[in-house]
Amino acid sequence: MRNLSIRRFLNNNIGWLYILSGGLLLCTSLLALFVSSVQVPVPTILHIILGNTLNSGWLENVPKNEVMIIWNIRLPRVLLAFCVGASLSLAGAAFQGLLRNPLADPYTIGVSSGASLGAVIVIFFQITIIGLGSFTLPVVAIISGLLTLLVVFGLVRLSSRSLAVETIVLAGIIVSSFIGALVSLIISLGDKDAMTQIMYWLYGSVGMRGWEYVQLIIPFMIIGAFILFYHYRELNALALGEEAADHIGVDVKKGKRFVLVGASLLTGASVAVSGSIGFVGLVIPHLVRLVIGPNHRHVLPLSLLTGGTFLILADLLARTLISPNELPIGVVTALIGAPVFAFLLIRERLGKRE
Amino acid sequence: MIKVHNLTGGYTHSPIIQGLDLEIRRGEFFALLGPNGSGKTTLFKLITGQLQKKSGNILLDGKEISTYSKLAKAKKVAVLSQEASVSFDYTVEEIVSLGRYPHQKGILKNLSKEDRKIIEEVMDITKVSAFRKKQFRMISGGEKQRVLLAKALAQEPELLLLDEPTNHLDIKHTFQLLDLLKERQQTMGLTVFAILHDLNVASLYADRFALLHEGSLLEVGDVEMLRKVEQLQKVYQVQVNAQSHPTVPKPQLLMTPNYAKAGEFLNFEGSFEINQDNHSIHIEFKKALRTISNCVLGDGIQWLKHFSHVYEAESRVSFDSKAKLQKWLENNLIPYEQAAGMIVEGNLEEIIILEEIGATQMMVIVTVGTANGDILIDPQSDQPKHTINIMLFIDAHFTDGALVNGSMLATEGKVKALQEHGAKEFPSSNDTLLLGLTQQGEKISTADSQSDIGNAISQLVYRAVQKVLKKQNRQLH
Repeated sequence: MRNLSIRRFLNNNIGWLYILSGGLLLCTSLLALFVSSVQVPVPTILHIILGNTLNSGWLENVPKNEVMIIWNIRLPRVLLAFCVGASLSLAGAAFQGLLRNPLADPYTIGVSSGASLGAVIVIFFQITIIGLGSFTLPVVAIISGLLTLLVVFGLVRLSSRSLAVETIVLAGIIVSSFIGALVSLIISLGDKDAMTQIMYWLYGSVGMRGWEYVQLIIPFMIIGAFILFYHYRELNALALGEEAADHIGVDVKKGKRFVLVGASLLTGASVAVSGSIGFVGLVIPHLVRLVIGPNHRHVLPLSLLTGGTFLILADLLARTLISPNELPIGVVTALIGAPVFAFLLIRERLGKRE
Repeated sequence: MIKVHNLTGGYTHSPIIQGLDLEIRRGEFFALLGPNGSGKTTLFKLITGQLQKKSGNILLDGKEISTYSKLAKAKKVAVLSQEASVSFDYTVEEIVSLGRYPHQKGILKNLSKEDRKIIEEVMDITKVSAFRKKQFRMISGGEKQRVLLAKALAQEPELLLLDEPTNHLDIKHTFQLLDLLKERQQTMGLTVFAILHDLNVASLYADRFALLHEGSLLEVGDVEMLRKVEQLQKVYQVQVNAQSHPTVPKPQLLMTPNYAKAGEFLNFEGSFEINQDNHSIHIEFKKALRTISNCVLGDGIQWLKHFSHVYEAESRVSFDSKAKLQKWLENNLIPYEQAAGMIVEGNLEEIIILEEIGATQMMVIVTVGTANGDILIDPQSDQPKHTINIMLFIDAHFTDGALVNGSMLATEGKVKALQEHGAKEFPSSNDTLLLGLTQQGEKISTADSQSDIGNAISQLVYRAVQKVLKKQNRQLH
């Protein structure tokens, strides 16, 4: 019986897509661990990872500095890239479904601007909250991201009782631009040092963060992803429009609130640990939809896998292209993402014409 | 099924619906009628829960509808509204599957075997299986509406609410959709509550009706309610006439546009042209006449412009005289859809009289032909049997009732003339009569023998038939 259902799963093509994207993720991860100024052979990499996680390493005499490089620097970097990419594209898929707008992305409703503002304030005023230490920045960023969500919600509630999609988008844009202005104001008031620091943070990066940041994002990612996966049917139903979704028994308000909170958690946490990285949340869900159709049951998990893979790859390019210097990862995502997106759009139109 | 009691509600401050009572019984097709802005959609939204009521009750199966959970309600009530837009490229099958939402159980909420069975079933019924893998956005409007209906049926509802579901559909798809619903109602006992704009379509499908006007119900009743023309005129402010559907015993409404009420007035004498030769008499009017007739072509009550008597030397009228007549008209470039005509066997005699009786102008054309091809002599009276064809044109405005009156009086006049002529029996089943009215001037609703016009009809026909018979006699002897 079990075998049968697995076989049906694979027969369905979609099963193969899951396997393909999973495999792609593993390969990309290995590649990212392997390629760098100091190249560690793949078996050694596997040994170090398995040894540290399951205590089942089989190699002896592995140089200590290699262990250091793989375990303390590269692996957390790859994992963080994965988490951020996965979170952003999952949030993007959810926002697009919720707002019924293919142009929506995690940055549409202002959560990321809020998180950025928090981070910029921390950098500018050199704030350190006692007990948090170097975590002051991400924690403040997440909190200010969620506060922004509350402001947006409040604005929507005051202007329309039904949480209308148009109002959400409008309120998001209003709040984002206001906060964006505040960020610019702070930057222009600061000295050159602070300015550079802030700008670099805003470009986004997953480098030199260490395990702590991975630990920081993972709970948010798990909770957010769980909330979104649980509501995949509501997201599908919303494609009919809110009234029609209501008619088939969907509690639209509740569903929307959950999806917004889940996606905002993912976005806020991502921005907090890595700065604002654009384009992932917009392009990846599109790409996934082009391949498997719009059913959120598959769009959500596949966006997660593909988004993670994409950001690992982008990070790899960011740190190798002009090595030993690094490019901001946001630049790379946009540089790869935009042409790929354009190509897909054109190809889709050509395909339809045939 | 649904009981609405003293309901008040609507948007914001001034509620449109004021103290409304309504009951929809289980298993019926109930149509809610009323012009735009009368509160139909508001009532609808109050029932679906999209609008909050101010006061009153809406009971679904005896329980206040707002106490149902969304899922419990969706298992009982499904909604089909005007064409919906779907974002993203969902396939038809995926859209239909959404209808199973309220029935899905478990944490994973996958589609169960039962769910799939029902999805297949409703896709078959609505005939959308054929394009199940197509994208919803790529199919036609009629197909879309069928898909959305399939989705609604997948909810396995007891009550289906329809908000102008046929708004964007052509008649083919409108009837397809409503036939489907009607069948579902009749076979599965589905209760249907529909807002319908088209009164005629509603008349054909619904069992009971409610007429909503400015937020309150003017009347609730069966299909005969649609015959109350004054009420409809008051609500819709359009001139309406109720007629019967030719094959279904239900009323159909005909609307008169404002521009048509005041037409150009034509002088009767100048309004027609007569072409007469050895083979035919053809009269063409500039404006269509309201006619009642039993002619071979153009029978019943109609609007016609062309009137022909076609002579046939040898009688081959027997079976396909209609096709023959159509052919003749076609050959003479007369559009037969606008023509009344008859084939006159044997061309014995004809007469045309144009007269002004009282203030009314009339023209009568009488032709006499042989009965069944031979000039049979009536054994009792020694007189030949004839078929007498009468076309009477009157410059007046008759109601349908007056038209029937008029044709009776014309027949009376004919019979009187025949009697005087000596005929005792009138076996001529082939006789035809046509009355054509210009529908100008004041409307006349009775044209009985007491009225001037009735008298005039009878008199004119009598004299015409008399004359024609005399003429014919002279020829025979």
